[in-house]
Amino acid sequence: MSAPETPKMPRAQIVYGAIVYWITIISCLICMVGPVISVASPDNNVLNPYKLFNAIFQGKDAQTVWQEVGGQFPGGHFYLKHFTYGDGFTQFGLALGCSVALWALIVAAFAYISDKIYLYVILSLWVSGLVALSMIGIVGMH
Amino acid sequence: MGKLFKSPWLEVNVMLLVLIISYVALSLFTFGAETQPGEMSGGAIWGWLFGFFFLSFAIALVAVIGGIGGGVLFTPFMLAFTPVDSLIVRATGLIVAMFSGLVSTGPFMKGGLANLRICIFCAAAYGVGAFAGAQGAIYVAQHLGETGEGLVRLALGLILCSLAVYFLVGGKKIEWPEVKKVDGFTKWLKLSQPYYEVSLKKVIDYPLTRAGWVIVAIIGVGLLSGFFGLGAGWAIVPAQNVIMAVPLKVAAANSGVLLGMGDCIGVWPYLLMGAIIPVFAAPWLVGQVLGGLLGALILIRVKAGFVRFLLIGFMFFACFGLLTKGLGMLGVIGPVPVWLNGLVFLVIFAGVTRSIIKFTRSES
Repeated sequence: MSAPETPKMPRAQIVYGAIVYWITIISCLICMVGPVISVASPDNNVLNPYKLFNAIFQGKDAQTVWQEVGGQFPGGHFYLKHFTYGDGFTQFGLALGCSVALWALIVAAFAYISDKIYLYVILSLWVSGLVALSMIGIVGMH
Repeated sequence: MGKLFKSPWLEVNVMLLVLIISYVALSLFTFGAETQPGEMSGGAIWGWLFGFFFLSFAIALVAVIGGIGGGVLFTPFMLAFTPVDSLIVRATGLIVAMFSGLVSTGPFMKGGLANLRICIFCAAAYGVGAFAGAQGAIYVAQHLGETGEGLVRLALGLILCSLAVYFLVGGKKIEWPEVKKVDGFTKWLKLSQPYYEVSLKKVIDYPLTRAGWVIVAIIGVGLLSGFFGLGAGWAIVPAQNVIMAVPLKVAAANSGVLLGMGDCIGVWPYLLMGAIIPVFAAPWLVGQVLGGLLGALILIRVKAGFVRFLLIGFMFFACFGLLTKGLGMLGVIGPVPVWLNGLVFLVIFAGVTRSIIKFTRSES
């Protein structure tokens, strides 16, 4: 069960861990600053935060919240059009964190290519493809 | 002093600094804000934003000590004791579970305790399950209305109750599973990867088996996680350990990495339909990342096995809240009086206190 020498970690594993770690931290920092921009300038939001929390704690569902507070739901990637908005910037932080596996797995796939471990190139690209499809919403049922 | 300016303390300190500045700025903006009728007061907004962060931070800390994932605590409590819509809670719960996994990924990968090959292999199946589960949750929310809300709470209450019993009993886990025969498929996958085991001061190379069966189990786990917005470490660890014979510590490390990777697939249906509301979800994300990092740096060596009993007690109490709220929404029972909630809380925590005393005596 034991081997004699301390093993060296595969390059793909090291780069995957590093990318996920740092993007998660950047995403966290964005999500700290985003709400400040949001309350500093309530009109500079898709959803006015003062109205938003009232609606959420009245038990309204997500669609109603967006409808009543923001007019309509502008789509999950609304940060692309409203990057400077408080909630747009916060959504960007969330989207960045929620797509971290995509970026990290693509780089890991390159590391597996250079190490000639082709099975894991395919599996890495399969999982990153699933993240990408899920992000785009192509395979959504609704 | 020097270590405070080196990774990982450097990034932790930067995050703490930004956090403090952010909440001071938030208080300056919110407390002076004039609000219109139908709007929440600035002070209340600040209170919620800080409260969410603080709760998430506390959940992440106790999760590190108690060995129970944050997602398992967040979703049931929010569903049982707040009026917030179940889809918004489950979507945010997935963020909580996911980021508690993401923040542990870096250290586990660098240290070699987690195995990227196993994680990618399992994520290929978990992602499919989590995505389908999230789609199912959205379908139920859009088509079943109040009945769906009640059924979701009832089902989650039953799952949580089974989980609490499972955590209490310990489940079937083997620290170093023995493999008698490696099947051809598992051998072809080349999943094993030796690592240095600090507690044994030697390198461990572990053979694996039955990788095909793990795929089936992990798809089921992904479905549950995606549908209910729960972390799924409680199921991923035994699935790897019991079926595939992954050593317990490696399986636990893999589960965090896998949750972070697989929920990147499961979370997007929620994001794309607006169930994740950015300013509501952000403090929960921040709490998980900061709490998870600080917990891993400071508290991981704290031997506080009794925390586990506290968490299990909270799970039983949340289970009671979910079942009564679910039955209430379905019109089976009326509102539960406050005294009954209090009585149930007292009975559960009398049992918890007894278990902690018993545990402390056996430890000493």
